[in-house]
Amino acid sequence: MQPAVLTERLTKRYGLRIGIDSLDLEIRSGEVFGFIGPNGAGKTTTLRLLLDLIHPTGGRAQVLGLDCHNDSVAIRRSVGYLPGDFGLDTRMTGRDLLGYFGRLRGLSDLGIAPQLAARLGLDLDLPMGRLSRGNRQKVGLVQALFHQPPLLILDEPTTGVDPLVQDTFLQVLREARDEGRTVFLSSHILSEVERVCDRVAIVRGGKLAALETTDSLLEKRRKRVTMTFTAPVEGATFAKLPGVSEVRVDDKTVSLRLHDGIDAVVKAAARHTLVDMSIIHPTLDEIFMSYYEEQQP
Amino acid sequence: MTGSQKIWALVSHQLRRRWRSLLGWGLALGALGALYVGLYPSMSGLMEDFIKNAPESLQRWMGNSEGPMTAEQWLGMEFLNLMVPLALPFLVILMGTRTVAGDEERKNLDLLLGLPIHRRHLIASTTVTMAISLTAVLVSTWLLTYIAVLIAQVDLRPGRLALSFVAIWPMSLLFGVLALFMSTLVRRAFVANVMPAVILVVMYVLELLGQLSQKMEPAQVVSLFHHLGKPIEGDFHLLAVLLMLAGACVLVAGAMVAFSKRDIYT
Repeated sequence: MQPAVLTERLTKRYGLRIGIDSLDLEIRSGEVFGFIGPNGAGKTTTLRLLLDLIHPTGGRAQVLGLDCHNDSVAIRRSVGYLPGDFGLDTRMTGRDLLGYFGRLRGLSDLGIAPQLAARLGLDLDLPMGRLSRGNRQKVGLVQALFHQPPLLILDEPTTGVDPLVQDTFLQVLREARDEGRTVFLSSHILSEVERVCDRVAIVRGGKLAALETTDSLLEKRRKRVTMTFTAPVEGATFAKLPGVSEVRVDDKTVSLRLHDGIDAVVKAAARHTLVDMSIIHPTLDEIFMSYYEEQQP
Repeated sequence: MTGSQKIWALVSHQLRRRWRSLLGWGLALGALGALYVGLYPSMSGLMEDFIKNAPESLQRWMGNSEGPMTAEQWLGMEFLNLMVPLALPFLVILMGTRTVAGDEERKNLDLLLGLPIHRRHLIASTTVTMAISLTAVLVSTWLLTYIAVLIAQVDLRPGRLALSFVAIWPMSLLFGVLALFMSTLVRRAFVANVMPAVILVVMYVLELLGQLSQKMEPAQVVSLFHHLGKPIEGDFHLLAVLLMLAGACVLVAGAMVAFSKRDIYT
């Protein structure tokens, strides 16, 4: 199946500063793809390159099989885009804005905008100037979704919205995926990426640091294992096992950090009388930080 | 959806955004025109005496007329040849920069250009909006001025009055398009506003100095005000009008190319 987004050595420099450097990325159709990294890592640059808002210094990008520069209008017809930072005409209401955008998209009505607005708790008849930051963000979300595009490109979509609305919005994204649509989502709110994304790319300093399924990323990275035995146990028994680090012994309790599979640890623990065992999986936040720590010079 | 439908959607949105401002401009300039017309019956005699005793430079500026000042001369002296051509370009200069650099500063452009429109559509629609806005303001100015002509029973032909406004239209549009072009080159609306505004004021001053002083006459050639002629007195410069329109077309094409090549800033 044709990828929804494909980039090959995509590069953008702003003078001497690197926005994104030789990015190779493939986003499959029908997945929710998370793009995470701290501010300035190149997330927004990548998204804006895909929409031809900025032009690449090198490499190329395709969206839905079309060239990002030559076919940009055709691409934007099939994309719902939410910028990370956007302004709205304060005198217009949400309904006015959606009507205007709908006309430019060739639509004769507001599509699913009224239903989306109701789900997000947004009043479409208030002038934008009277809306809070969170409600303006909701207008942005609705305008990206209301025409039900096959691809959504969302830059920090839940910034400024309250947790309840975040939940609703993530549910909307899951529904979009279930309908076969693709979502490309940049975020630094890792919990939301963890909850909704099928695969995650971590970008650092304009370069791709990792690209994995969210599950495998969570699975393979540093679990915290805590075991309680009937009698004190030597920490060295576990410290020498592959993938084990940060072994701490406190009387009858052994705590360790595990990078790889748990089989060797379980076998070593089975030589003693085990009372209790807990495995704490790291959050994406911790994983993200670990990538950064590992790659610091 | 065709390109022209998209352009029309953009134009109608821009006009809806600005109709109050356009109404204000039309009413203000129309009221000023009406005021000038209303003052004419009482001023014509006074002006005749004033011109007779005025220094030569001032007589030159006032058209070296002999006998009572006509309504055409009275309106052309300041209102039609200097005030309206100076004021009206500012309306479109602000429009020209608002759509690109202004909306870019306000971070509105990312949302708009995330829609399936070409950047050239935005340039074309802004140009059309400026053209329609100028027409609307000039028509309402003409209408209010001519209503005053009828009420004050001044001898002034409506066609001559209209011709004066027709001559102002391309010059104003040229400055608006220059501002639009500038805003595709620079990302700051203020900078894009300043350049055409300074050129406009310099041209105005050169024209004024040229009228007041014989030494400054050669400098008038670089002023577009000079090439407007005096259409209300029958001196309509068709070639100048066509050249200004051609200049505007070149600038629009340049703006389309420049805007398509540059990044949109956040």
